[in-house]
Amino acid sequence: MNVARERVYIDADILIIGGGTAGCLAAYEARQVGGDDLKIVILEKAFIRNSGALSAGMNALNMYLNQGTPEDLVSYIRYDMCGAPVREDILLSVAELVNETVAMMEQEGLPIKKKPDGSYLNRGKWNIEINGSLLKPITANMAIKTRARVYNRVHVTDLIKVDDQVGGCVGFGVRDGKFYVARGKVVMVCAGGAAGIWRPRGQGDAHHRIWYYPFNTGGSYAMCKRAGAKMLGFDSRLVPVRTKDTYSATGTLAIGMGAPMVNAQGEAFMQEREEYIKMGGHTAPTPIRVLAYCREMENHRGPCYMDTTRGDPERVEGLKAQYLDMAPCLVLYWGCNDINPAREPIEIDAADPSIVGAHAACAGAWTIGNSRMTTVERLFVSGDALGGAPSRFISGTWTCGRLAGRSMVGYLKERRPELLGLDPAMVDALEAGVFAPLERFNRCSFYTNGDPMDGVSPGQMEARMQNIMEEYCGGRSRWFYVNETNLGIARKLINRLRREQLQYLVAADLHDLQLAWDVINRLDVCQLVVEHIDYRKETRYPGYVNRTDYPGVDEEYDCFITSEWDPNTDTLSFFREPYEQIVPGDRKCQTL
Amino acid sequence: MPPYVIPDKCDGCQGERVPMCEVVCPGNLMVIDKASGKAVCREPGDCWDCMTCTKSCARQAIQTRIQYQMAFFPGKLIPLVGTHSVTWTLIDCHGHVERFIMRTLAGEEDEET
Ligand SMILES: Cc1cc2nc3c(=O)[nH]c(=O)nc-3n(C[C@H](O)[C@H](O)[C@H](O)COP(=O)(O)OP(=O)(O)OC[C@H]3O[C@@H](n4cnc5c(N)ncnc54)[C@H](O)[C@@H]3O)c2cc1C
Ligand code: SF4
Ligand code: SF4
Repeated sequence: MNVARERVYIDADILIIGGGTAGCLAAYEARQVGGDDLKIVILEKAFIRNSGALSAGMNALNMYLNQGTPEDLVSYIRYDMCGAPVREDILLSVAELVNETVAMMEQEGLPIKKKPDGSYLNRGKWNIEINGSLLKPITANMAIKTRARVYNRVHVTDLIKVDDQVGGCVGFGVRDGKFYVARGKVVMVCAGGAAGIWRPRGQGDAHHRIWYYPFNTGGSYAMCKRAGAKMLGFDSRLVPVRTKDTYSATGTLAIGMGAPMVNAQGEAFMQEREEYIKMGGHTAPTPIRVLAYCREMENHRGPCYMDTTRGDPERVEGLKAQYLDMAPCLVLYWGCNDINPAREPIEIDAADPSIVGAHAACAGAWTIGNSRMTTVERLFVSGDALGGAPSRFISGTWTCGRLAGRSMVGYLKERRPELLGLDPAMVDALEAGVFAPLERFNRCSFYTNGDPMDGVSPGQMEARMQNIMEEYCGGRSRWFYVNETNLGIARKLINRLRREQLQYLVAADLHDLQLAWDVINRLDVCQLVVEHIDYRKETRYPGYVNRTDYPGVDEEYDCFITSEWDPNTDTLSFFREPYEQIVPGDRKCQTL
Repeated sequence: MPPYVIPDKCDGCQGERVPMCEVVCPGNLMVIDKASGKAVCREPGDCWDCMTCTKSCARQAIQTRIQYQMAFFPGKLIPLVGTHSVTWTLIDCHGHVERFIMRTLAGEEDEET
C-alpha cells in the first residue's frame, strides 16, 4: 500500500496562492517593477482562465471615480459600512490608482460601455458598466503574458512556517495526485473569501445556487489564521439581498435603473417608512438596506421586490441583456417563470451570508501599514483575503493586487530574504496531513451501498457545519439574529467538529479530498466568525449581524478588533487596534 | 443551472488535446466517463451555473437546465461564442424565442451571426 507519493518541489521569489482577481494583477505588477529575472509562481486550484469570483462574468466595475476625489470615495465606503472603522490608509492608496488600472484593463480588451460623448457609462457615482463576460480570461492574461509560472489544479492546503516566518506552502494536485511543496522568498495569499458557511437556500441540485462563488471556501482565512496572522472583520459578514431563487446581483436594478425596493403593498419602504428614512432612506448603507428588507419580511409585509416598473424605462428594456453578461441563469429563470422584468417587479430575498473582505464587508488578515504584509513575516495578502478595507470590488482588487505586487518587490529589494530551509521531517508530517482523509478512506470497510462504515464524508460534515451555523449563528432562517446563548452553542458544536470529528473525515478520491479540505478550512472560518461575533458585544452592522442581547452601538468597540490563534490551546486572543481617521468629517455622512 | 451533456453531440473532444469542459470547470465537476468516452457533470448540485463549460464546448453538446425546484420545464438558453461576441438564444417554456448579441472583447465589431 505504501507507494511513495510523487513530489513536486517549486522555488520562487514571489509565491502567489490563488490566481484570481488580485493574484493575476499582483503577478503582472511584480514583473513590471521587479524585472525579467524575478521568479513569479502562481498556484491555482482550478484553471486560471476561468477560476474565481469572476468566472461567470460581471457587468459593472464597482470602484471607479466618475467624479470627486479619492477622499470622497473613502468617505462613501466608510459611510456604507455604517460609519464603522475602515482602513482608510489602504482604501486611499487603492482609490488613488483605480482609474489608471481600469484604463489599463480597457487596453487589454475589456469592453467598457460608453456614453455618446465617449466617456465611460457610469452607474451612480462610483461604478461603471462593462461587458464583462470575459473578465476572467482578460484578467488571467495579465499573469500569463507576464510569464508568471502558473500551476493549475493545485489545491493549496497550508502555509509552511519556519520559526516566525512563512516560507512557502504545501498542497496537492487535484488531477495528478502529487504532493506539492512550494517555497517563496515572499508568499501572498489571495485565495478569495468563504462561501458555504451557512445553509444555502436551495437544496439538492440547487445547493450551490448561492450568491458567492462556492469554490472559494475560506482557504485564505484558514491558512492565515493557522499561520498565526492577526485576523479581523469576521463579525461583518455580508448578507446578500438578491433576486429570489437565483441570488443574482441587484446593483443593475437598484443603481443601474433606479428601481426601488417595495413591499407587498407596493410601498417603497426605504423612502416612505419613517423608521428607514431616519436611517438614510434609499441611499442608506448596505447593511441598513438589508435590515429594512428583513424587517418588512418579519412584519409580514412581504414578499418584497425591486420595482423595475418605476425604473428608467430605457435601461429596463435592456435588462435581460445586462444579466447575460453576469448571471445568465436569471434570464432563463425569467423565461421559465413567465416573468417579464420590464413589466413587473423582480422579487428579492436574502441569501446565506458570505465572508468577504473586498466586497461590502471587512473580513481578512490584518496588514501592517500600506505594505499588504500580515503580522507574520513574509506573508502578504490581497483581494478578499485582506481585511478592514471593504468595497474594493473588482477594480479595487485588481489595484490592491498591483500594490501588493509592488510592495513584495520592495520587500525583496530591501530585505534580500533567502529561501528558508525546510526540515524533511516537517515536510513529511505536512504530507501525511494533506492526504490523511484519503488514507483513512483506504482503511475503511464499506456498507452494501458503498458508503464507508468508519468515516464521515465531506458532504455530510459540511451539512452538519451549515446546520449549526444556520441555527446558532444567525442564518437566514433566523433572520440573522444572534445572542450569547446561541453563540455558546455554536462554539461548543463547532469546536467539537474541529477537535474531535475531523479524525473521521474521509475522502474517496482526489476530488473528494478537495471537498474535505474545503470543510476543514470552512470550520476554521466558523471559529473566527463565532468568536468575533461573540467578542463584539454590540450591533455595529445591523442587518449583517443583529445581536438581540446588545442591540445598540457601544463606543468601546469603535476600533479594529483583531484576533490571533494559539495552536496549543486552540483559542483566539483578542486585541484592539486604534482606528485612524484620515479623511475628516462625520463618518455617518458622505462628503459627496 | 447545471450542465447536461447530450450524448449524440459529445465526442469526448477526440480531436482536441484535452476535453475542453474538463479543463475549464472551476469546480472540477466535468469528467469523461470511462465507459462511454463522453463528458458528464459528476455532481450537478455542486455547479455554480457559471456556464463556462457550456460556452467552451465547440460541439454545443452541453445543455444547461434550470433546477426544476426553481422554474418550469422546458426552457433553454443557448450561447454561441464568436471571437468578439456571444449570441444568446433564449427559448422560454412556451417556446418563444429571443436572441441577444453581447460584446465580449473590445476591438472589431463582431460578425453578425
Ligand atoms: C457573485 C458576485 C458578484 C460580484 N459582482 C461584482 C460587480 O458587479 N462589480 C464589482 O466590481 N465587483 C463585484 N464582485 C466583487 C469582486 O468580484 C470580488 O471582490 C473580487 O473578484 C475578489 O477577488 P479575489 O482575488 O479576492 O478573489 P477571486 O478572484 O475569486 O480569486 C481567488 C482565486 O483563488 C483560487 N483559490 C481558492 N482557494 C484556493 C486554494 N486553496 N488553493 C489555490 N487556489 C485557490 C480560486 O480558484 C480563485 O482563482 C462580485 C463578487 C461576487 C462573488
Ligand atoms: S467540451 Fe463538449 S465535446 Fe468536449 S468533452 Fe466536453 S461536452 Fe464533450
Ligand atoms: S456551469 Fe461552471 S461550475 Fe457548472 S459544471 Fe459548468 S463550468 Fe463547472
